[in-house]
Parts: sequence; C-alpha cells; structure tokens
Amino acid sequence: MQQSAVDAVIRGLKRAGVSIVCYLPDSLFKELYPALDADPDIRTIQVTNEGEGAAICGGVFLSGKRAALVMENSGLRASVEPLARMGLGAGIPVVMLMSYRGDMGENNWWAVPHGVTMEPVLQALRIPYVVEREEERIEQAIFDAYELAYSSYYHTAVALSGSIVR
Amino acid sequence: MKRFECMTKLAARLSDELVVLSLGASVDEWYNAAPHMRSASLFQQQLGCVTPQAFGLAAGLPERQIISLDTDGGLLFNLGILATLGNEKPKNLFVVVWDNEMYQSIGGPKTHTASGTVDLAAIARGAGVTHAYTARTLDEFDAHCEAGLASDDPYIVVAKVAGTVQPEIKRKHSDGREDKYIFVRHVEATEGITIMGPSEHN
Repeated sequence: MQQSAVDAVIRGLKRAGVSIVCYLPDSLFKELYPALDADPDIRTIQVTNEGEGAAICGGVFLSGKRAALVMENSGLRASVEPLARMGLGAGIPVVMLMSYRGDMGENNWWAVPHGVTMEPVLQALRIPYVVEREEERIEQAIFDAYELAYSSYYHTAVALSGSIVR
Repeated sequence: MKRFECMTKLAARLSDELVVLSLGASVDEWYNAAPHMRSASLFQQQLGCVTPQAFGLAAGLPERQIISLDTDGGLLFNLGILATLGNEKPKNLFVVVWDNEMYQSIGGPKTHTASGTVDLAAIARGAGVTHAYTARTLDEFDAHCEAGLASDDPYIVVAKVAGTVQPEIKRKHSDGREDKYIFVRHVEATEGITIMGPSEHN
C-alpha cells in the first residue's frame, strides 16, 4: 500500500469524524496500521478477532464517538454474528474498511475464499458497500460510508482493491 | 447465591453509570432489580458481544463508569475480549459475569464452567486482567462491587449463581431497537451530546 493511499484513508476517516479504530492486522493494509497507531487524533484498539472488533465499534457508536473496523475481507465472515444482531436486531451501525483479498489478480490460493464470499455475505446482510480501486476515490468513499451509516443506522462497507493495495 | 439478590446489591450502588447486559432471563431480572437504571441500561440479545460493547462504550466515554453484565456462555463465546482488556486496561469498566454454569435461556444445558475445571476468573487473570475474582456469597459479591466500581483498572467478578429465575417478575416489553433508542437518548441527555441527530432535511 502506497503512502499516498494510507494518507487518503486517514483523511477520509478524519473527515468522517472517526476517533477510534479497531483492527486485526492483515498483509494488504500493513502500512496502514502503524500509521493509524501513530496518529495522535486516532485511538487504535487491536482486537483478537473481527467480530469482537465489530462489537467494540458498536459500543463506541453508543458513546457518540465514531469508530471504524479495519480488516482484511476475511474478517467480514468472522463478524457476521455480531453484525447481524447489532444491525438487524438493534440498528447499531458499524462502518467497515476492508482490504479486498481474492479480487481479480489474486495470486494466493488461500485468499480465493475471501473473494468468493465477500460480496455475497455483504448482500446477505443487506450491507451497502463500494469497491474502490482508484486512490483518488478513497477519501470520499469513506466519508460517504459514514453519511449513509448515520442516516440508516445500519452498517456500510468500503473495500479497497487494485492498485491501492498492491 | 441467587442472581436477583446480587443484582439488587449492585443496583443499590448505581446512579449515573451505564450498563450493558446480556440475553436471557437476566434481562427481566435486571429490569426489576434496577428500575432506576432502566434507561441507563442497554438490553441486548447478543452472545459474545456484551463485554466488547461495554468496552467500546468505555473507550468512547472515558469519564463515565461502564458496567458489563455478561454471562458464562457469553464470555466463553469470545474469550479474546479478556486479552484485549488486559492490554487496553480501561479505567472505567467493571465486568460482572453471571456464571450459572448453564445456557439457561434455552432450558439449561450445561456450559463448560459446569465441569469445575474451567475457571473464568483465572482465564481473565492469565489474559492480564489482574483484578479478576470469583464470588460465591452475597457478601463477597457486594464487596467486589464496591471495589470494582472504585477501581482504576478493569475489574471482573465472576458471580457463581444458582440456575433459578426470580419468580413473578415483570417482563420487559420492548425489543432491541426500542431499547437502543431509549439508551441513546439517555446517554445524549446525561452527557449533553448528540448521537442520533436530525437528517439534513426533515
């Protein structure tokens, strides 16, 4: 991930008012995590699985602060249970930023399931999402994800792929 | 030790705290044991989410005391949160684990704590939550509530309670969505903030 893309993600999060980020580190976003850790305006919380991160983000929503769940798209599968209960059961939103493993160009066999399952899982949970492959669209995509999450009180997701993460 | 009696002891110590609690019969018990805390309590139906949500709330409101009323089944569903608490060390989070050694809400099949070999407080200490204890009597539980609410470290008390439900208590009628609105409006009013504000146009 290029530094300019890392900067764009952080600009988007700040423009959306995010002050807490929960993450489980992955390889495609590996440059993003230390940059988030180092940012004085953002508190990072490393979690043990993405479902735990989703639930923490839900609690942050209830505090009036804004949170982001940052992860590889495989983490979406680990988050399905809390996302379904919080989103469909109570209207507690979580905004997710995911690296898109398994997209066209993937060269790891183990990442193929992530590409196969990501969009169907998002659609099963009725989560609006965008897949961004151009760096210049990152900031606005993140900002827009918060606008919709805070008018629908439901989850939204941004997946980053293509030249952004390779 | 009965859970409802423990709840009555804890409720007597609470006024402006915020509570997140687990699913099942403990919901209706808390609704009755702490009527003054109803709007300050988030009633959810989320196995494995309770303490993580409470921690998120504690991270977002660092000056407010947050209480998680979790369960043995709920904590076993996501033990990883203990490691996160051990590293993050929130100063304003008190966790009660109602350990009745069973999945009570579905009729009472045993959890892993029923064997006597699984010690949730010891797991928590091993994860870095140094203030993690087991209470077996009402006096022990009440003493841990006093200490836990005053602690500047995360504090967990595993309350070994009977698998009984307080009889003839009033049922809560609202669902998770209504409960969320009640809770959010309470947080907004008491913190002087807006969480769910107006749209651009009405």
